[in-house]
Amino acid sequence: MQTDTSANTNTRANRLPNQGSRSNNRTMNPDNNHQQLADWLAAVAEERDKIAFTGLFKFFAPKIQRIAHQQFSSEAQAHEVVQETMSNVWRKAHLYSPQKGAPTTWVYTIMRNVSFDMLRKIKSKKEDNLSEDIWPLVEAESAETDVYADHLQQNQILAHLDKLPENQKQVVKGFYFLEMSQEQLAQHLNLPLGTVKSRLRLALAKLKQQLSDQQVGEHDD
Amino acid sequence: MIKHHPTTNLLQSFSAGELPASLSAAISIHVDMCPVCQQQVGELTEQYAEQSFDQPAQMGQQDSFNETADIMSLIDDITDDESIAELGEGYVAKEFQIKDKSYKMPRPLQSMAIGSFSGIGKLNRARIELGEGEIHTSLMQIQPGGMIPEHTHKGFELTLLLDGEFSDDMGTYQAGDFIWLDGSHQHNPKTEDGCLCLTVVSDALHFTQGFGKLLNPFGSLLY
Repeated sequence: MQTDTSANTNTRANRLPNQGSRSNNRTMNPDNNHQQLADWLAAVAEERDKIAFTGLFKFFAPKIQRIAHQQFSSEAQAHEVVQETMSNVWRKAHLYSPQKGAPTTWVYTIMRNVSFDMLRKIKSKKEDNLSEDIWPLVEAESAETDVYADHLQQNQILAHLDKLPENQKQVVKGFYFLEMSQEQLAQHLNLPLGTVKSRLRLALAKLKQQLSDQQVGEHDD
Repeated sequence: MIKHHPTTNLLQSFSAGELPASLSAAISIHVDMCPVCQQQVGELTEQYAEQSFDQPAQMGQQDSFNETADIMSLIDDITDDESIAELGEGYVAKEFQIKDKSYKMPRPLQSMAIGSFSGIGKLNRARIELGEGEIHTSLMQIQPGGMIPEHTHKGFELTLLLDGEFSDDMGTYQAGDFIWLDGSHQHNPKTEDGCLCLTVVSDALHFTQGFGKLLNPFGSLLY
Protein backbone atom coordinates (compact mmCIF):
# COMPACT_ATOMS: atom_id res chain seq x y z
CA MET A 1 0.00 0.00 0.00
CA GLN A 2 1.24 3.45 -0.86
CA THR A 3 2.01 5.74 1.98
CA ASP A 4 1.22 9.19 0.66
CA THR A 5 -1.41 11.10 2.54
CA SER A 6 -1.31 14.23 0.44
CA ALA A 7 -3.11 12.37 -2.33
CA ASN A 8 -2.77 15.11 -4.87
CA THR A 9 -3.62 14.42 -8.45
CA ASN A 10 -0.04 13.67 -9.41
CA THR A 11 0.53 10.86 -6.95
CA ARG A 12 -2.80 9.35 -7.89
CA ALA A 13 -1.85 9.42 -11.55
CA ASN A 14 1.52 7.84 -10.81
CA ARG A 15 -0.19 4.89 -9.30
CA LEU A 16 -2.21 4.05 -12.36
CA PRO A 17 0.37 2.04 -14.31
CA ASN A 18 0.52 -0.48 -11.43
CA GLN A 19 -3.10 -1.28 -11.78
CA GLY A 20 -2.65 -3.69 -14.65
CA SER A 21 -5.28 -4.34 -17.25
CA ARG A 22 -7.86 -2.05 -15.68
CA SER A 23 -6.10 0.97 -17.06
CA ASN A 24 -6.40 -0.39 -20.61
CA ASN A 25 -10.15 0.00 -20.46
CA ARG A 26 -9.96 3.63 -19.58
CA THR A 27 -11.75 5.90 -21.95
CA MET A 28 -10.50 8.97 -20.21
CA ASN A 29 -7.43 10.17 -18.46
CA PRO A 30 -8.14 10.56 -14.70
CA ASP A 31 -5.30 13.02 -14.30
CA ASN A 32 -6.80 15.49 -16.78
CA ASN A 33 -10.24 14.77 -15.41
CA HIS A 34 -9.19 15.63 -11.88
CA GLN A 35 -7.73 18.95 -12.98
CA GLN A 36 -10.90 19.78 -14.92
CA LEU A 37 -13.17 18.72 -12.03
CA ALA A 38 -11.15 20.75 -9.53
CA ASP A 39 -11.36 23.80 -11.81
CA TRP A 40 -15.13 23.39 -12.06
CA LEU A 41 -15.45 23.08 -8.29
CA ALA A 42 -13.43 26.27 -7.87
CA ALA A 43 -15.64 28.09 -10.39
CA VAL A 44 -18.77 26.95 -8.57
CA ALA A 45 -17.28 28.00 -5.22
CA GLU A 46 -16.06 31.39 -6.33
CA GLU A 47 -18.51 32.47 -9.00
CA ARG A 48 -21.53 30.19 -8.56
CA ASP A 49 -20.81 29.22 -12.14
CA LYS A 50 -23.71 27.20 -13.55
CA ILE A 51 -21.83 26.08 -16.62
CA ALA A 52 -19.08 24.63 -14.43
CA PHE A 53 -21.75 22.96 -12.32
CA THR A 54 -23.32 21.49 -15.43
CA GLY A 55 -19.92 19.99 -16.24
CA LEU A 56 -19.72 18.45 -12.75
CA PHE A 57 -23.28 17.21 -12.98
CA LYS A 58 -22.74 15.52 -16.32
CA PHE A 59 -19.61 13.81 -15.05
CA PHE A 60 -20.88 12.65 -11.66
CA ALA A 61 -24.65 12.27 -11.85
CA PRO A 62 -24.80 9.20 -14.15
CA LYS A 63 -22.14 7.43 -12.09
CA ILE A 64 -23.85 8.24 -8.80
CA GLN A 65 -27.16 7.09 -10.26
CA ARG A 66 -25.63 3.74 -11.24
CA ILE A 67 -23.90 3.17 -7.88
CA ALA A 68 -26.93 4.20 -5.81
CA HIS A 69 -29.19 2.06 -7.94
CA GLN A 70 -27.05 -0.96 -7.12
CA GLN A 71 -27.18 -0.10 -3.43
CA PHE A 72 -30.86 0.72 -3.04
CA SER A 73 -32.35 -1.29 -5.93
CA SER A 74 -34.78 1.53 -6.47
CA GLU A 75 -34.78 4.05 -9.27
CA ALA A 76 -36.48 6.68 -7.11
CA GLN A 77 -34.03 6.38 -4.23
CA ALA A 78 -31.07 6.40 -6.58
CA HIS A 79 -32.47 9.60 -8.01
CA GLU A 80 -32.71 11.10 -4.55
CA VAL A 81 -29.07 10.24 -3.88
CA VAL A 82 -28.08 12.01 -7.11
CA GLN A 83 -30.18 15.05 -6.29
CA GLU A 84 -28.98 15.31 -2.70
CA THR A 85 -25.31 14.67 -3.50
CA MET A 86 -25.17 17.13 -6.37
CA SER A 87 -27.01 19.77 -4.40
CA ASN A 88 -24.40 19.37 -1.63
CA VAL A 89 -21.68 19.77 -4.24
CA TRP A 90 -23.35 23.01 -5.35
CA ARG A 91 -23.72 24.37 -1.83
CA LYS A 92 -20.44 23.13 -0.36
CA ALA A 93 -17.99 23.55 -3.23
CA HIS A 94 -16.15 26.18 -1.18
CA LEU A 95 -15.29 23.52 1.39
CA TYR A 96 -13.24 21.55 -1.13
CA SER A 97 -9.53 22.20 -1.30
CA PRO A 98 -7.17 20.41 -3.70
CA GLN A 99 -4.63 19.95 -0.88
CA LYS A 100 -6.98 17.54 0.83
CA GLY A 101 -7.23 15.17 -2.12
CA ALA A 102 -8.74 14.49 -5.50
CA PRO A 103 -12.10 16.09 -6.34
CA THR A 104 -13.47 12.60 -6.99
CA THR A 105 -12.59 11.58 -3.42
CA TRP A 106 -14.39 14.62 -2.08
CA VAL A 107 -17.54 13.95 -4.09
CA TYR A 108 -17.34 10.29 -3.10
CA THR A 109 -17.42 11.21 0.60
CA ILE A 110 -20.48 13.38 -0.01
CA MET A 111 -22.24 10.57 -1.88
CA ARG A 112 -21.26 8.05 0.82
CA ASN A 113 -22.64 10.34 3.53
CA VAL A 114 -25.90 10.96 1.69
CA SER A 115 -26.38 7.21 1.13
CA PHE A 116 -25.56 6.45 4.75
CA ASP A 117 -28.20 8.87 6.03
CA MET A 118 -30.73 7.56 3.56
CA LEU A 119 -30.06 3.93 4.47
CA ARG A 120 -30.50 4.82 8.12
CA LYS A 121 -33.78 6.52 7.32
CA ILE A 122 -34.99 3.33 5.64
CA LYS A 123 -33.62 0.79 8.12
CA SER A 124 -33.92 2.53 11.48
CA LYS A 125 -36.62 5.08 10.62
CA LYS A 126 -34.32 7.81 11.89
CA GLU A 127 -33.90 11.15 10.22
CA ASP A 128 -31.00 12.20 12.40
CA ASN A 129 -28.45 12.66 9.58
CA LEU A 130 -25.44 11.51 11.56
CA SER A 131 -23.08 11.15 8.62
CA GLU A 132 -21.46 14.55 8.88
CA ASP A 133 -20.61 13.96 12.52
CA ILE A 134 -19.09 10.59 11.66
CA TRP A 135 -17.28 11.74 8.52
CA PRO A 136 -16.84 15.51 8.93
CA LEU A 137 -16.20 17.45 5.72
CA VAL A 138 -14.52 20.14 7.76
CA GLU A 139 -11.91 19.55 10.43
CA ALA A 140 -12.58 20.60 13.98
CA GLU A 141 -12.11 24.29 14.57
CA SER A 142 -13.68 26.98 16.69
CA ALA A 143 -17.28 27.82 15.88
CA GLU A 144 -20.23 29.44 17.50
CA THR A 145 -21.36 27.07 20.18
CA ASP A 146 -24.91 28.43 20.19
CA VAL A 147 -25.52 27.07 16.74
CA TYR A 148 -24.51 23.71 18.08
CA ALA A 149 -26.75 23.78 21.09
CA ASP A 150 -29.69 24.50 18.80
CA HIS A 151 -28.65 21.87 16.36
CA LEU A 152 -28.25 19.31 19.13
CA GLN A 153 -31.59 20.09 20.59
CA GLN A 154 -33.28 19.97 17.23
CA ASN A 155 -31.89 16.53 16.63
CA GLN A 156 -33.12 15.34 19.98
CA ILE A 157 -36.53 16.74 19.25
CA LEU A 158 -36.56 14.87 15.96
CA ALA A 159 -35.58 11.65 17.71
CA HIS A 160 -38.38 12.04 20.22
CA LEU A 161 -40.85 13.11 17.61
CA ASP A 162 -40.53 9.69 16.05
CA LYS A 163 -41.72 8.11 19.27
CA LEU A 164 -44.96 10.06 19.48
CA PRO A 165 -48.22 8.37 18.53
CA GLU A 166 -48.94 8.80 14.83
CA ASN A 167 -51.85 11.24 15.29
CA GLN A 168 -49.75 13.55 17.48
CA LYS A 169 -46.76 13.31 15.18
CA GLN A 170 -48.96 14.43 12.30
CA VAL A 171 -50.04 17.66 13.94
CA VAL A 172 -46.58 18.54 15.27
CA LYS A 173 -45.02 18.01 11.87
CA GLY A 174 -47.75 19.96 10.13
CA PHE A 175 -47.63 22.82 12.59
CA TYR A 176 -43.86 23.20 13.05
CA PHE A 177 -42.31 21.82 9.90
CA LEU A 178 -44.91 22.63 7.26
CA GLU A 179 -45.94 25.78 9.11
CA MET A 180 -49.64 25.11 8.68
CA SER A 181 -52.05 26.91 10.97
CA GLN A 182 -54.17 24.91 13.43
CA GLU A 183 -57.20 25.74 11.29
CA GLN A 184 -55.51 24.51 8.15
CA LEU A 185 -54.48 21.33 9.94
CA ALA A 186 -58.02 20.72 11.17
CA GLN A 187 -59.34 21.12 7.65
CA HIS A 188 -56.57 19.07 6.08
CA LEU A 189 -56.90 16.19 8.55
CA ASN A 190 -60.66 16.48 8.66
CA LEU A 191 -60.72 16.90 12.44
CA PRO A 192 -62.44 19.33 14.81
CA LEU A 193 -60.21 22.27 15.66
CA GLY A 194 -60.34 21.33 19.37
CA THR A 195 -58.87 17.91 18.63
CA VAL A 196 -55.98 19.42 16.72
CA LYS A 197 -55.31 21.81 19.61
CA SER A 198 -55.37 19.13 22.27
CA ARG A 199 -53.17 16.76 20.26
CA LEU A 200 -50.66 19.50 19.78
CA ARG A 201 -50.71 20.33 23.48
CA LEU A 202 -50.26 16.68 24.48
CA ALA A 203 -47.43 16.17 22.03
CA LEU A 204 -45.58 19.27 23.19
CA ALA A 205 -45.93 18.34 26.84
CA LYS A 206 -44.49 14.93 26.08
CA LEU A 207 -41.60 16.31 24.05
CA LYS A 208 -40.77 18.82 26.74
CA GLN A 209 -40.72 16.14 29.40
CA GLN A 210 -38.54 13.82 27.34
CA LEU A 211 -36.08 16.57 26.57
CA SER A 212 -35.68 17.58 30.18
CA ASP A 213 -35.35 13.92 31.17
CA GLN A 214 -32.29 13.48 29.12
CA GLN A 215 -29.99 16.41 29.63
CA VAL A 216 -26.76 14.47 29.75
CA GLY A 217 -24.89 14.81 33.01
CA GLU A 218 -27.51 16.78 34.85
CA HIS A 219 -28.90 13.63 36.32
CA ASP A 220 -26.47 12.74 38.99
CA ASP A 221 -28.14 10.28 41.29
CA MET B 1 0.23 4.26 22.11
CA ILE B 2 -3.06 2.84 20.98
CA LYS B 3 -2.58 -0.90 20.58
CA HIS B 4 -6.00 -2.20 19.60
CA HIS B 5 -7.41 -1.29 16.22
CA PRO B 6 -10.40 -2.18 14.04
CA THR B 7 -9.65 -4.92 11.50
CA THR B 8 -9.03 -3.96 7.88
CA ASN B 9 -12.42 -5.44 7.05
CA LEU B 10 -14.12 -3.09 9.47
CA LEU B 11 -12.14 -0.13 8.15
CA GLN B 12 -13.22 -1.03 4.62
CA SER B 13 -16.90 -1.26 5.52
CA PHE B 14 -16.55 1.96 7.48
CA SER B 15 -15.04 3.81 4.52
CA ALA B 16 -17.78 2.49 2.25
CA GLY B 17 -20.45 3.66 4.69
CA GLU B 18 -21.82 0.14 5.15
CA LEU B 19 -21.75 -0.18 8.95
CA PRO B 20 -24.54 0.79 11.36
CA ALA B 21 -24.29 4.22 12.97
CA SER B 22 -23.12 2.75 16.30
CA LEU B 23 -20.04 1.03 14.85
CA SER B 24 -19.39 3.84 12.39
CA ALA B 25 -19.30 6.34 15.26
CA ALA B 26 -16.97 4.12 17.31
CA ILE B 27 -14.57 3.70 14.39
CA SER B 28 -14.74 7.42 13.63
CA ILE B 29 -13.69 8.25 17.20
CA HIS B 30 -10.87 5.70 17.07
CA VAL B 31 -9.68 6.98 13.68
CA ASP B 32 -9.62 10.51 15.01
CA MET B 33 -7.24 9.39 17.77
CA CYS B 34 -5.15 6.95 15.73
CA PRO B 35 -2.89 8.25 12.92
CA VAL B 36 -2.29 4.72 11.60
CA CYS B 37 -5.95 3.97 11.00
CA GLN B 38 -6.51 7.52 9.81
CA GLN B 39 -4.07 6.98 6.99
CA GLN B 40 -5.58 3.62 6.11
CA VAL B 41 -9.09 5.07 5.97
CA GLY B 42 -7.78 7.89 3.77
CA GLU B 43 -6.32 5.39 1.34
CA LEU B 44 -9.38 3.16 1.33
CA THR B 45 -11.65 6.12 0.69
CA GLU B 46 -9.47 7.15 -2.23
CA GLN B 47 -9.67 3.64 -3.64
CA TYR B 48 -13.46 3.57 -3.38
CA ALA B 49 -13.63 7.00 -4.99
CA GLU B 50 -11.44 5.76 -7.81
CA GLN B 51 -13.60 2.69 -8.34
CA SER B 52 -16.71 4.87 -8.33
CA PHE B 53 -15.66 7.71 -10.57
CA ASP B 54 -12.46 7.01 -12.45
CA GLN B 55 -13.42 3.79 -14.14
CA PRO B 56 -15.61 3.47 -17.19
CA ALA B 57 -18.88 1.64 -16.70
CA GLN B 58 -18.61 -2.12 -16.98
CA MET B 59 -20.45 -4.09 -19.62
CA GLY B 60 -24.19 -3.98 -19.01
CA GLN B 61 -23.85 -1.08 -16.61
CA GLN B 62 -24.28 1.72 -19.07
CA ASP B 63 -24.65 5.11 -17.50
CA SER B 64 -28.27 5.91 -18.09
CA PHE B 65 -28.56 9.66 -17.87
CA ASN B 66 -29.11 10.78 -21.42
CA GLU B 67 -32.33 12.71 -21.57
CA THR B 68 -30.80 16.14 -21.93
CA ALA B 69 -33.95 18.09 -21.11
CA ASP B 70 -34.25 16.19 -17.88
CA ILE B 71 -30.71 16.99 -16.88
CA MET B 72 -31.13 20.68 -17.48
CA SER B 73 -34.21 20.92 -15.29
CA LEU B 74 -32.47 18.96 -12.51
CA ILE B 75 -29.52 21.31 -12.69
CA ASP B 76 -31.84 24.33 -12.60
CA ASP B 77 -33.56 22.96 -9.51
CA ILE B 78 -30.26 22.65 -7.71
CA THR B 79 -28.71 25.93 -8.83
CA ASP B 80 -31.87 27.87 -7.98
CA ASP B 81 -30.81 27.43 -4.39
CA GLU B 82 -28.64 30.47 -3.82
CA SER B 83 -27.69 29.58 -0.28
CA ILE B 84 -24.19 28.46 0.50
CA ALA B 85 -23.56 25.93 3.25
CA GLU B 86 -22.16 27.77 6.23
CA LEU B 87 -18.54 27.39 7.06
CA GLY B 88 -19.30 27.09 10.75
CA GLU B 89 -19.04 23.34 10.73
CA GLY B 90 -16.10 23.26 13.10
CA TYR B 91 -16.71 21.22 16.17
CA VAL B 92 -16.35 22.42 19.70
CA ALA B 93 -16.66 19.50 22.06
CA LYS B 94 -19.39 19.93 24.65
CA GLU B 95 -18.50 18.89 28.16
CA PHE B 96 -20.68 16.57 30.16
CA GLN B 97 -20.44 15.23 33.68
CA ILE B 98 -21.00 11.89 35.29
CA LYS B 99 -20.52 11.62 39.04
CA ASP B 100 -18.45 14.81 39.27
CA LYS B 101 -16.11 13.76 36.52
CA SER B 102 -16.17 15.85 33.41
CA TYR B 103 -15.70 14.50 29.86
CA LYS B 104 -15.66 15.90 26.35
CA MET B 105 -18.39 14.71 24.01
CA PRO B 106 -16.82 13.06 20.94
CA ARG B 107 -18.12 14.63 17.75
CA PRO B 108 -19.73 11.50 16.24
CA LEU B 109 -21.97 11.23 19.31
CA GLN B 110 -22.91 14.91 19.57
CA SER B 111 -26.27 14.65 17.81
CA MET B 112 -27.27 11.24 19.12
CA ALA B 113 -30.10 10.90 21.60
CA ILE B 114 -28.24 9.96 24.77
CA GLY B 115 -30.40 8.95 27.72
CA SER B 116 -29.67 9.91 31.28
CA PHE B 117 -27.09 8.02 33.29
CA SER B 118 -28.24 5.47 35.80
CA GLY B 119 -26.02 3.36 37.95
CA ILE B 120 -25.54 0.09 39.78
CA GLY B 121 -22.64 0.28 42.24
CA LYS B 122 -19.62 1.71 40.50
CA LEU B 123 -21.17 1.37 37.05
CA ASN B 124 -23.04 4.18 35.37
CA ARG B 125 -24.62 3.68 32.03
CA ALA B 126 -26.55 5.77 29.53
CA ARG B 127 -28.25 4.20 26.54
CA ILE B 128 -27.80 5.80 23.16
CA GLU B 129 -31.02 5.45 21.18
CA LEU B 130 -30.15 4.60 17.62
CA GLY B 131 -33.00 2.28 16.67
CA GLU B 132 -30.67 -0.49 15.52
CA GLY B 133 -32.67 -3.44 16.83
CA GLU B 134 -30.42 -6.07 18.40
CA ILE B 135 -27.47 -3.72 18.50
CA HIS B 136 -27.32 -1.75 21.74
CA THR B 137 -25.09 1.23 22.21
CA SER B 138 -24.21 2.85 25.53
CA LEU B 139 -21.85 5.16 27.28
CA MET B 140 -20.49 3.36 30.31
CA GLN B 141 -18.56 4.84 33.16
CA ILE B 142 -16.80 2.63 35.68
CA GLN B 143 -15.61 4.43 38.77
CA PRO B 144 -12.18 3.78 40.28
CA GLY B 145 -11.91 0.26 41.65
CA GLY B 146 -14.96 -0.93 39.74
CA MET B 147 -15.31 -4.06 37.62
CA ILE B 148 -17.76 -5.96 35.47
CA PRO B 149 -18.28 -9.63 36.43
CA GLU B 150 -16.82 -12.21 34.07
CA HIS B 151 -19.07 -12.55 31.09
CA THR B 152 -19.30 -13.70 27.52
CA HIS B 153 -21.48 -12.76 24.56
CA LYS B 154 -23.65 -14.47 22.07
CA GLY B 155 -22.86 -11.83 19.49
CA PHE B 156 -20.09 -9.26 19.64
CA GLU B 157 -19.04 -6.69 22.20
CA LEU B 158 -17.14 -3.65 21.12
CA THR B 159 -15.58 -1.45 23.77
CA LEU B 160 -14.01 1.80 22.72
CA LEU B 161 -12.10 3.30 25.62
CA LEU B 162 -12.76 7.04 25.58
CA ASP B 163 -11.06 8.07 28.79
CA GLY B 164 -9.08 6.47 31.63
CA GLU B 165 -7.83 2.88 31.65
CA PHE B 166 -9.03 -0.61 32.34
CA SER B 167 -7.58 -4.08 32.19
CA ASP B 168 -8.66 -7.68 31.86
CA ASP B 169 -6.84 -11.02 31.63
CA MET B 170 -5.64 -10.06 28.15
CA GLY B 171 -3.94 -6.82 29.14
CA THR B 172 -4.28 -3.15 29.95
CA TYR B 173 -6.06 -0.71 27.70
CA GLN B 174 -5.84 3.03 27.21
CA ALA B 175 -7.87 5.79 25.60
CA GLY B 176 -8.49 5.12 21.92
CA ASP B 177 -8.15 1.33 22.16
CA PHE B 178 -10.78 -0.44 20.08
CA ILE B 179 -11.53 -3.78 21.74
CA TRP B 180 -13.65 -6.23 19.77
CA LEU B 181 -14.76 -9.45 21.46
CA ASP B 182 -17.06 -12.18 20.24
CA GLY B 183 -18.71 -15.25 21.75
CA SER B 184 -15.43 -17.13 22.10
CA HIS B 185 -14.00 -14.65 24.59
CA GLN B 186 -14.67 -14.28 28.27
CA HIS B 187 -13.39 -11.42 30.32
CA ASN B 188 -13.94 -9.39 33.47
CA PRO B 189 -12.70 -5.87 32.97
CA LYS B 190 -11.65 -3.85 35.99
CA THR B 191 -10.32 -0.37 36.42
CA GLU B 192 -8.12 1.22 39.06
CA ASP B 193 -8.48 4.85 38.09
CA GLY B 194 -11.90 4.72 36.47
CA CYS B 195 -12.86 4.91 32.81
CA LEU B 196 -15.45 5.95 30.27
CA CYS B 197 -16.26 3.65 27.36
CA LEU B 198 -18.50 3.58 24.37
CA THR B 199 -19.93 0.08 24.11
CA VAL B 200 -21.72 -1.55 21.21
CA VAL B 201 -23.16 -4.96 21.93
CA SER B 202 -25.11 -7.17 19.56
CA ASP B 203 -26.82 -9.15 22.30
CA ALA B 204 -27.21 -9.23 26.07
CA LEU B 205 -24.20 -10.18 28.14
CA HIS B 206 -24.01 -13.64 29.59
CA PHE B 207 -22.32 -13.78 32.97
CA THR B 208 -20.35 -16.93 33.55
CA GLN B 209 -19.11 -16.94 37.12
CA GLY B 210 -20.17 -16.87 40.72
CA PHE B 211 -21.98 -13.80 41.88
CA GLY B 212 -22.14 -12.49 38.33
CA LYS B 213 -24.36 -15.42 37.39
CA LEU B 214 -27.03 -13.99 39.61
CA LEU B 215 -26.89 -10.90 37.49
CA ASN B 216 -27.76 -12.70 34.26
CA PRO B 217 -31.35 -11.58 34.13
CA PHE B 218 -30.01 -8.04 34.51
CA GLY B 219 -27.41 -8.30 31.78
CA SER B 220 -29.47 -6.09 29.56
CA LEU B 221 -29.55 -3.49 32.31
CA LEU B 222 -25.81 -3.16 32.19
CA TYR B 223 -25.28 -2.83 28.47
